[in-house]
Amino acid sequence: MNPFSLSIEGLEKKARAIRRRIIVLNAESPAGGHTGADLSQVELLTALYFRILNCSVELKDSKERDIYIQSKGHAVGGYYCVLAEAGFIPVEWLSTYQHADSHLPGHPVRHKTPGVELNTGALGHGLPVAVGLALAAKRDNSKRRIFVVTGDGELTEGSNWEAALVAAHYQLDNLFIINDKNNLQLAGATKDIMNTDPLDEKWRAFGMEVTQCNGNDMADVVATLEALQPNGKPHVIIANTTKGAGVSFIQGRPEWHHRVPKGEEITLALEELKDE
Amino acid sequence: MSNSEHLATVMVNAFIDAVDRGVDLVPVVADSTSTAKISPFVKKYPERLVNVGIAEQVLVGTAAGLALGGKIAVTCNAAPFLISRANEQIKIDVCYNNTNVKLFGLNSGASYGPLASTHHSIDDISVLRGFGNIEIYAPSCPIECRQIIDYALEHVGPVYIRLDGKALPELHDENYQFTPGKIDVLRQGHDIALVAMGSTVHEIVTAATQLAESGIDATVINVPSIRPCDTNQLLEILKPHRAVVSVEEHNINGGIGSLVAEVLAEAGCAIPLRRLGIPDGGYAIAADRAATRAHHEIDAAGIVKQATALFQAQKK
Repeated sequence: MNPFSLSIEGLEKKARAIRRRIIVLNAESPAGGHTGADLSQVELLTALYFRILNCSVELKDSKERDIYIQSKGHAVGGYYCVLAEAGFIPVEWLSTYQHADSHLPGHPVRHKTPGVELNTGALGHGLPVAVGLALAAKRDNSKRRIFVVTGDGELTEGSNWEAALVAAHYQLDNLFIINDKNNLQLAGATKDIMNTDPLDEKWRAFGMEVTQCNGNDMADVVATLEALQPNGKPHVIIANTTKGAGVSFIQGRPEWHHRVPKGEEITLALEELKDE
Repeated sequence: MSNSEHLATVMVNAFIDAVDRGVDLVPVVADSTSTAKISPFVKKYPERLVNVGIAEQVLVGTAAGLALGGKIAVTCNAAPFLISRANEQIKIDVCYNNTNVKLFGLNSGASYGPLASTHHSIDDISVLRGFGNIEIYAPSCPIECRQIIDYALEHVGPVYIRLDGKALPELHDENYQFTPGKIDVLRQGHDIALVAMGSTVHEIVTAATQLAESGIDATVINVPSIRPCDTNQLLEILKPHRAVVSVEEHNINGGIGSLVAEVLAEAGCAIPLRRLGIPDGGYAIAADRAATRAHHEIDAAGIVKQATALFQAQKK
């Protein structure tokens, strides 16, 4: 049971609050940030932490709690904002993002940050580890589910496809692979750098159950995740997102992969993200 | 010599006994069931093994996930593929995440001999010494191997165990007590110290006997515990000698020879050291064990030759 279980409207409001925090967190970072990637996954992480996941601070030691793995570790700024809103870390820590030896390094580190389940940053690591977690839960007859968010550029790492074979072979229907498909990566458009489309057909060929949603539409994200039932196949959710979603001058712009808001941009972004 | 046993067999027996006593152990293999000689385990516990196919990255990633899920995950495959193909998974998923994974490097060194350099792991110790918080062991014989494995399964955290690929005779009896970090002196001499890890300990034992016949009294030092390593103890053992020779079926860079060099140099101890192993910038030749060791002078004859020359040079 999720301790918040917010309504769609409540989740949308929470998502705006998280986006505001992402803007400020990146603006205060002394070492840049991944603002675009942080913003594209906001609906996904908000839906997970405030409605879907059986996960909370109190369930830290429970073997039944669901596990979330942030495989696209560079979007850690957004992840920290979600963890702060969900009570895993103090909100005051957000202003220490990427400061020297702080609790919030530039990629997730579980011995630094409560709530973080896996150290990631090098890409293609989340899914293989998630497969092991899902296997362990199956062997224990646990209700635990494993959710992992990957980038779409990240899917060119071969380790993901090794893991896909294993997940399907062992019928890990407690595994939920969410692709934050924002179509942009460090150097440009994913389709130009190394095309991964048609992504759904690839996953299906590997034996997954594949669904798609608008990953920046909260109602669609929630309806899609809540409709999934165990059926012997690992679940893939292709979440079609916009990099930098929610801020007009950031969204869809590749230069915001590794750029942070400055000066007037901060004010403008926060104005756009105000609650109505 | 009698009582020879394959270290993979020792490993599998340790696994069976662990599960028998209630340890939630899950072996993970990459189509390496025969390499790991694991069929007796599978026969007794058919539901436990995870086989990921020929895919070392997911082998190690899955093991890390199983460990995070509460299992004691043990990977069993050929050392060269484990160390090189899954290098980043070992670094991040196992070491950096400090997961309770035990990595078994099977058929290590040049055990695969004629199968050539794709199948040799002459870099595993140097690679893993560069990684954080993983303990590193190289057992020399079946009794020591079993004690190291039993310790590793009790210890919470990453462990690498380098297993030789041939049946090895005993060097110890049942009174032997392996202790992590401790150095094992098999023969106390006065003239020259011979230091080795793993299967090459057998070569220095033989070499010491031959050296004694020519009047050189050698100390025989087995270092099964590369990390942790009681370097103070190692230094005190080495100090009284006029020369040191290290021997390993491993590159001379980053292995036991480097460890000895670091200990001596950091103590300002000017004892001459000769590192025997696969030379800097080189590969092990593709040949059977006897020919490989003879070529690289890490067999008893080569050690005697090198140790005698080094010792004579110091006497002048």
